[in-house]
Amino acid sequence: MLLEVRGVIKRYRRGAAPANDGVDLAIDAGQVYGLLGHNGAGKTTLVNQIVGLMKPDAGFIRISGRDVVADASFARRVCSIQPQAQVPINGLTPRQAIQTLGRLRGGTAATVRSRTDHLLEALALGEWAGMDGARLSGGVKRLVSFCMAAVTPGRLVMLDEPTNDVDPVRRRLLWAQVRALADEGSAVLLVTHNVIEAERSVDRLAILDHGRVLTEGTPSDLKAGVADGLHLELVLEPGANAPEPPSFATSYVATASRIVATVPANIGGEAATWAGNLRRAGRIEEYSLAAATLEDAYVALVGAATVEEKTDVRAA
Amino acid sequence: MSALRSYRLLVTWQARRMKMFLPLGIVVQALFAFGIVAGYPLLFPTIDRTTILYLATGGPAVSLITIGLVAVPQLVSQARTEGTLDYMRTLPVPRVVYLLADMTVWLAVVVPGVIFAVLVAAIRFGLDLEISPLVVPAVLLVVLTATSVGYALASLLPPMVANMASQVLVVFILMFSPLNFPADRLPGWLATIHGFLPIQAMGELMRGTLAANTFPLTAGAFLLLGAWCAATFAATSVVLTRRS
Repeated sequence: MLLEVRGVIKRYRRGAAPANDGVDLAIDAGQVYGLLGHNGAGKTTLVNQIVGLMKPDAGFIRISGRDVVADASFARRVCSIQPQAQVPINGLTPRQAIQTLGRLRGGTAATVRSRTDHLLEALALGEWAGMDGARLSGGVKRLVSFCMAAVTPGRLVMLDEPTNDVDPVRRRLLWAQVRALADEGSAVLLVTHNVIEAERSVDRLAILDHGRVLTEGTPSDLKAGVADGLHLELVLEPGANAPEPPSFATSYVATASRIVATVPANIGGEAATWAGNLRRAGRIEEYSLAAATLEDAYVALVGAATVEEKTDVRAA
Repeated sequence: MSALRSYRLLVTWQARRMKMFLPLGIVVQALFAFGIVAGYPLLFPTIDRTTILYLATGGPAVSLITIGLVAVPQLVSQARTEGTLDYMRTLPVPRVVYLLADMTVWLAVVVPGVIFAVLVAAIRFGLDLEISPLVVPAVLLVVLTATSVGYALASLLPPMVANMASQVLVVFILMFSPLNFPADRLPGWLATIHGFLPIQAMGELMRGTLAANTFPLTAGAFLLLGAWCAATFAATSVVLTRRS
């Protein structure tokens, strides 16, 4: 086991609700591990404790069996991190920034050079490689920040929301590089609230909510709860009221413009008829019915707090 | 990895990060020093040689001190707010090396201004300054202490407060510190305070090494500054290492 987190509790202020409330995690080398949760679930707090920016109030964190709460400098040597906040590299070009980080992390000049070239090419960043960091777009900066963590990767690579602002094509390229990091032996801890992307990219994941791990396992383990379900999504006509939840829905979340529900697989026909009637009545623009996803499992577990523009939530 | 290699890489990193600021900083520094040397005399109808020497040596001192106590806290506060400082803290580099690399870059910003100011003073007033070789350790110690105090301010105080404190310090340094005039002109209580603060000693080091034939240079000033430098450097290292 490469990273072992046991019973970690962290409060920002005495008496405040804990940001981490007894977190347990275990990640092996070669694994991409997703840490999912909505804003404020305690994901970044956990990352900051692993890399030694913060100290847990209770519990322990071990990397390769070594206590990193006691020895934070060891954590910094063996962890490389892409922080959630953009790292300003004004004045440096992406190539310079990536190479400097690679060398600071102990890579030899030749290795770092060839690895930098490889990453810039793999993420299709060539045209920006020599441009001043101040002129880069948010998405390109985010990718450069990933390269800075990946050029001389640690035994543990922690990526905090690495795909924010990144275009769909380069997201795929990025996921391939995340996988490559794990294949080359690093453990990758991937922090995200993008459930759909996580489903395709991680080997295991944990869902964090209010500082606690709600559940942990492979994406299919987590989907087991909704495995015999279908994902029903309705897009409301502008200004139309959300229809009353039908009796067959096992979960039902309505926002101002969208309804997401799960229904048992054997009710698929009935659900399609119900949604078709709504469309003919002009109350919805369109609907889709598909196999349940990790997002459905996630919503079922964490509840509707994850859905933005929340207006009405009912459990059917 | 060797500390020396980290130091070299970080100096390059910081110099590149500040390369927009570097020429501007050097020009502002030079103008600042020039303003004191050439502008202050306009306040006086007649001006004697001692006053001129005070201004000629006080100008460079003020310019060194303001960079450390004003520009450093502002930029470090900014780095704290935008998260750069925390990012640097996640790298496998000893804090002391990080601080020293930063100070090296600051040194490169301030030294050209000092040289320029001394030249202007010498030409403007036809001064024959007797520059002692001790000017090198003196400038080093003054810059290290000033940036170290600036770092400590920015690390210990919340960013907003650090910014305000640095603004107030400008006035205090320019108007109420014995840099461009002798300490005996200050009210007794303020002179006593300055006996413990590092500013007067910084002025003494600059005066005593740039006009060695006129002003005394005491070991006490070196010692006092050394103590300030060590104390603030240690405080900053502790703050940078501390985990919340």
